[in-house]
Amino acid sequence: MYAAPFSYHRAASLEEAVTLLRELGEEARVIAGGQSLIPLMKMRMARPGALVDIHLISGLNGIERSNGELRFGALARHAEIEDSRVASTIPILHDCAAGIADIQVRNQGTIGGSLAEADPSGDWGTALMALETSVICFGPGGERTVPLEAFIKDAYTTVLAHDELISGVHVKLPPKGSGGAHLAFKRTAPVYPTASASVELTLEDHHLCRDARIVLGCVGLTAIRAKEAEVALRGKTLDEKSIRTAVDAARAAADPQSDMRGSADYKRVLVGTLVKRAIGIAARRARGESVPAGHEYAGR
Amino acid sequence: MARKSNRMSKKKPARAAAHSSSTNGTKTAAAKWVGQPIRRKEESRLVRGRGIFVDDEKMPGMLHIRFIRSSYAHAQISRVDVSKAEKFPGVVCTLTGAEIKKQVQPFIEIGPGGAQKIADYPMAVDKVVFQGEPVAAVVAETRLAAEDAGELVEVDYEPLPAVVSAEDALKDESLLHPAMGTNRNWHGVFEYGDVEKAFKQAAHVVHIGRLHFHRFSSTPLECNVIMANWDPRSGDIEYHCNNTFPSFASQFLAPALGVRIDQIHMKSFDIGGGFGIKITSYPYMAVCALASRKAGGRGVKWVETRIEHMQASAHGNERVFLDTRVALDQNGVILAIDSKHVDDCGGFPRYEPLGCVIWAQVLPATYRLKNIRIDMHQVVTNKCPVGPNRGYSRMQHLWFMERVIDICGQALGIPADAMRVRNYIRKNEMPYKTPNGCVYDSGDYASMLEAAKRLIGWDGWKKKQAAARSERRWVGLGIGSTLDSGTNNFGQARIINPDAPFSGQSKVGIVKLDIYGEVVVSMGSVPQGQGHETAAAQVVADALGITPDLVNVRPGFDTAHNAYTGHTGTYASQFAVTGLTAIHGAAMKLRKELSRLAAWKLEAKEKDLEFGIGAQGPEVRAKGTQKAINYWALANLVNVNNAGMPKSLWDITLNCRHVFHANFEIPDVQRKYGNLTLTYAAQIHAAVVEVDRETFQPKILAYACVDDCGKAVNPRIVEGQVHGASAHGIGAALLENCAYDSDGNLLTATFSDYTPITAMNMPELLYAHMESPSPFTLNGAKGMGEGGAAPVHTICAALQDALYPSGVIIDDSHNTGDSLFHALRKAESGGYAAMVRVEHRTASR
Repeated sequence: MYAAPFSYHRAASLEEAVTLLRELGEEARVIAGGQSLIPLMKMRMARPGALVDIHLISGLNGIERSNGELRFGALARHAEIEDSRVASTIPILHDCAAGIADIQVRNQGTIGGSLAEADPSGDWGTALMALETSVICFGPGGERTVPLEAFIKDAYTTVLAHDELISGVHVKLPPKGSGGAHLAFKRTAPVYPTASASVELTLEDHHLCRDARIVLGCVGLTAIRAKEAEVALRGKTLDEKSIRTAVDAARAAADPQSDMRGSADYKRVLVGTLVKRAIGIAARRARGESVPAGHEYAGR
Repeated sequence: MARKSNRMSKKKPARAAAHSSSTNGTKTAAAKWVGQPIRRKEESRLVRGRGIFVDDEKMPGMLHIRFIRSSYAHAQISRVDVSKAEKFPGVVCTLTGAEIKKQVQPFIEIGPGGAQKIADYPMAVDKVVFQGEPVAAVVAETRLAAEDAGELVEVDYEPLPAVVSAEDALKDESLLHPAMGTNRNWHGVFEYGDVEKAFKQAAHVVHIGRLHFHRFSSTPLECNVIMANWDPRSGDIEYHCNNTFPSFASQFLAPALGVRIDQIHMKSFDIGGGFGIKITSYPYMAVCALASRKAGGRGVKWVETRIEHMQASAHGNERVFLDTRVALDQNGVILAIDSKHVDDCGGFPRYEPLGCVIWAQVLPATYRLKNIRIDMHQVVTNKCPVGPNRGYSRMQHLWFMERVIDICGQALGIPADAMRVRNYIRKNEMPYKTPNGCVYDSGDYASMLEAAKRLIGWDGWKKKQAAARSERRWVGLGIGSTLDSGTNNFGQARIINPDAPFSGQSKVGIVKLDIYGEVVVSMGSVPQGQGHETAAAQVVADALGITPDLVNVRPGFDTAHNAYTGHTGTYASQFAVTGLTAIHGAAMKLRKELSRLAAWKLEAKEKDLEFGIGAQGPEVRAKGTQKAINYWALANLVNVNNAGMPKSLWDITLNCRHVFHANFEIPDVQRKYGNLTLTYAAQIHAAVVEVDRETFQPKILAYACVDDCGKAVNPRIVEGQVHGASAHGIGAALLENCAYDSDGNLLTATFSDYTPITAMNMPELLYAHMESPSPFTLNGAKGMGEGGAAPVHTICAALQDALYPSGVIIDDSHNTGDSLFHALRKAESGGYAAMVRVEHRTASR
C-alpha cells in the first residue's frame, strides 16, 4: 500500500497554495485532512504527481457566528464541528459531524476537504444542502461565493478551477421555528452510509410547514434535493398524509445504484424511511424539543 | 460493550485420577493460581506499543517482495514478461510461476485419489484459479521500488469460465484442475444407525430445501507477514513470521523446497490475531525463501496488504445443505436426519479436505439424535482457497443442525426452547458417545439454556414479543446451541485419506531452572492474543508453589526452543488442555528434580520437603526445620558448582521437557467411527432481535452468552475470548461476507465493502460462565476460544422467529436489511412455499 511517486509542497497561505497549484499544473492536488485522498493514493486509484498541503495554513479552522451566518474555515475538522457549541445551534450540523466515519477520520478530515471531494456518499454535501450554504472559493482573482447546489456539479466534480480551493463554508442561520435532522444508515463505523437524508423544516404554530428542504444522500451521483417532496410539505399541515406524499416523492427522486452497501430497490426504500423519520425529528426540534439523532449502525 | 458478569459455579465432581499419575509421584500443590482471573502478563508490553511483531523486525540488507496477482478468477496465462520490472532502479530480481516450477515440488495434497493430481505451486504456473492468485513477484531494495516495478510486469491472460458456486462446480462444465478430472475433490457418506427405519417410524417428516452457510473470514488486525532468509552457507531457511501452525507449514515446505525439516527455523513473537486463517500462509513462505535464495541469501520481507489478505490469504469454508429430510416423533424428538452437504474450498484444497471430516466431531450437535446420513462432498471453485477459520467446519454443521431444529420446531408448532430441551443430550448421559464414536466429555446443555433464558429475561421478552406482534412489529427470540470441540485427533485425517500418515495429538512444554535459578518456560504454542504466557505462568506457579510473576514465559514460538512436535501450533481450541498439560508435566519433572537435589543437600527425605517462597525467593525447605535451599543454590549445584555431587543425581538437568499425548486411537476408517476430539466446550446463546418494519434492519435488542469450558484456568481470559468470539459471530451473521460476482471477482476486497464488525455495531453482552469440568483433562479444563460462531446460529434463530409469521424461512447464515427486505418480498409472493414441506404420518399432538 504505497502511493505512486509524488512531490510534496506545503503552503503557508491561501495565496501560496494558489500559486503552487498554478505552477505545478493539473497533476497537483490539494491535501487537507487527507481522509479521502490518502486511501485512494495508497491503492494507487489516485495518482497525483504533486500534493499541495494546506493543513498548516493558519486561520482556516475557525467556527464562528457572524452576520446571521455560521462561518466555518475550510480546515474545520469534523470532530471540531461535532464538539462546537456554536455549530450546535443548527442541530443538523451536529448530527452530520458526529457520525462521519470513525473518530480517527473525524479528527483529521475537514469540512472543506469533504465538499471539494464531492463524493456522492459524503455526509456534508447532503446535510449542508438542507441549509442555505455558500462555499467560499479562493483563487488567483481572490474570493468568490458559490451556492452549494451550484458548487457540486457531478460525482467527484465541483466548480473549483484547478488553481482554486475552498477557504470557507458559510451557512445561513435558519429562521425562527426551524428544525432539522440528518439521518444516515451505516453498516459499520468507518464506512460511508448506505443512504442518508437531511431535512430542514420551518414551522408556524408548530404544525404548518412554511418551508422545507429535503435532501437525499448516497442515492445518486450527487446529493439530491427532493424538490417535489419539499412541495408536498410547503404550506401544508404536517400530518400523516402530507408526510406520506413527501416520502413517496422523495423515493421517486432517488436514483440509487446497487453495490455492496445494498441493492437499488432496497436503498430506495431505506432513503424514504430516513426522510420520514428525519421529518419527524426535524418537526419536533422545530417545536423546541431536544431530540438525539444522527447515524445508525447495523445491528443496533 | 458494557458487560455484566454472573458467574455460576456448579458443584464440582470429583476429579478423575487419569492424569494426575503423570506427575512423577510428586504431589501437586493445591491450585492457587489456576482459576484466578489475574491480569495478563502480555498486556503491559502490548498496550505500551512494545509488542514485537514481524514487521517491527529487520534483517541486515533486507529486501522487499511484492506479488503480481491475477485479476481474473479463472484464466490461462499466455505470457508473463518481467523484463521491464527487472530494469527498474532498485530491483534485485523477479520470480515467475514458470521459473519456480523448475525449483520446487508441488505442495503435498491431503486428499486421496484424483486430488493427488492437483499441482499446487507457490505461484500460478500456467493458469490461475482465483482472483488474487500470485503469478509473479518483484524483489527490490525498498518496498516502494517493489511496488513501482510491480506495475511494469506484463501478464496476458485468456479468460476461462469461472465456477463460483458449489452446485455449478459439481456440474464439471469448467474444470479448475483438469488432471483431477472433476471439480469434486472429496466425497464420502457418513451414515450411522438405521436411517430408513427411523423414517418409517416417524410421526412427522420435514423436508427442507437448500440452506447456505456463507463465506466469511477472520480479518486479524495484523495480516500475514513473513521475513525469510535462505542462507547460502548453511542451506538453512530462517523464518520470522506469523504462521500459527509452524509444524504443519514446515512439513509442507520442506519437501516442496527440498530441505530437511531441521533446516527450517521458524519463530514468532507477538501476533496480531490469527483465528486459523494464517495456517495456510506456507505458499508465500516458499516464495519468500526462493526470493531470498535468488537474491544471494539476503533477507526478504513480505507484508501482506489488506486487499491481498482479503483476496488471496484464506477464507472460511462455504457450504450448502441440500435435500434435507428430518424424521421426528410425535413430540418433536428428532429420530433421523438425511442430507447432502457440499463444501466449497476455493481454488486449492491446501488444509482441505480435512473440513470434510472435522464437522463430524459434532455430528449430532448437542442432540441425542442416533440415526444420521450425511452425503458429504467438497468441490473446488474459482474463489480464494479456504483455511481453518475460527469454528472451522463444525460451525457450518452446527448452523445446519440449529436451522433444522428451528425449522422443524416452527413447522410442528413446538417452541424453540422446548424443541431443544427435548432433544438435548442429558447431563446424566455424560460422557456421551455419539453415533460416530466421539465422546462428549461433560456438559449440561439444558441447565445452560435455563441460565441463558434467565440472563436475558426470556419470559419477559416473550410477553414483550406478544405485545410487539400486536403492533405488527417483527420481534424474534432465538437460541443457539454450540459446541467448541477442542484437542483434535489427527487420526480423523485417515477417514479422509486412509494413507494419511498422521494421527493423535501432542504438544511440548519445557520448564527449566536457569543458572541463576530463574524459572523459564518455553511453550510449544503460537500465541496470537490468547494469553498463553499468563495461563502457563499460573500452571507453573501452582506446580512449584511460587507466584506467576516469578515464572518467566518466553513469548511466542521458536523452533530453537525445541519445544515442538509435528502437531505444534495453535489451532483447534486446545492450549488449555494440550499446551498447559505439557507445561505442567515439565514443571512437575522439574519439581521432582529439585526435590531430589534438595533432599540430598538438606539431608532430608523427599516426602518431608515443601516448596514455597522464602526470604531469598523461591525455595525448597524441610518441613518443621530451619533448613531450606533456594532456587539459585539449587541451580548452582547442578550448573556451576557440581563437584562432589553424587552420581545418582547426575541425570538431573533442571531443563525439563514434557510431551503431552492425548489418549486417542486411530478411527475405524470403513465405518468412519472413532473419537475425533478430546473436549467439548459449549456455548448456549440467546438473542432478541427486531427487524425494523421500515428499514428491514435487524437490531439486537438483547444478547446473552452462557459459556461452559470446564474449569476456566483464567476466567478473565475466558470472558475476553467469549466477547471476541461473539463479536466475530455477530459480524458474520449481519455484516461480514466474502461476496463474489458471477465472474469470480471478489466484491468485498476492502473493509469498506467487507465491513468487519465495529464497536458501534455491538450490543451489550450479558455473560455467564458455568463449569462442567472435563473428566479427561488435567485441571478439568477444556479448550475454548473459537466459540463455534454461536451468534450466527442464534441470530438466525431469532430472525426466523421474528419473520416466520410473515412466511420467511431463514435459509442463509448471512442476513442484512437488504436481504431481509428481499426475503419478505419473496415470502409475499409465496416464494418459500416449497422450501419446507411437512408430512404428518399420525395425528398431531
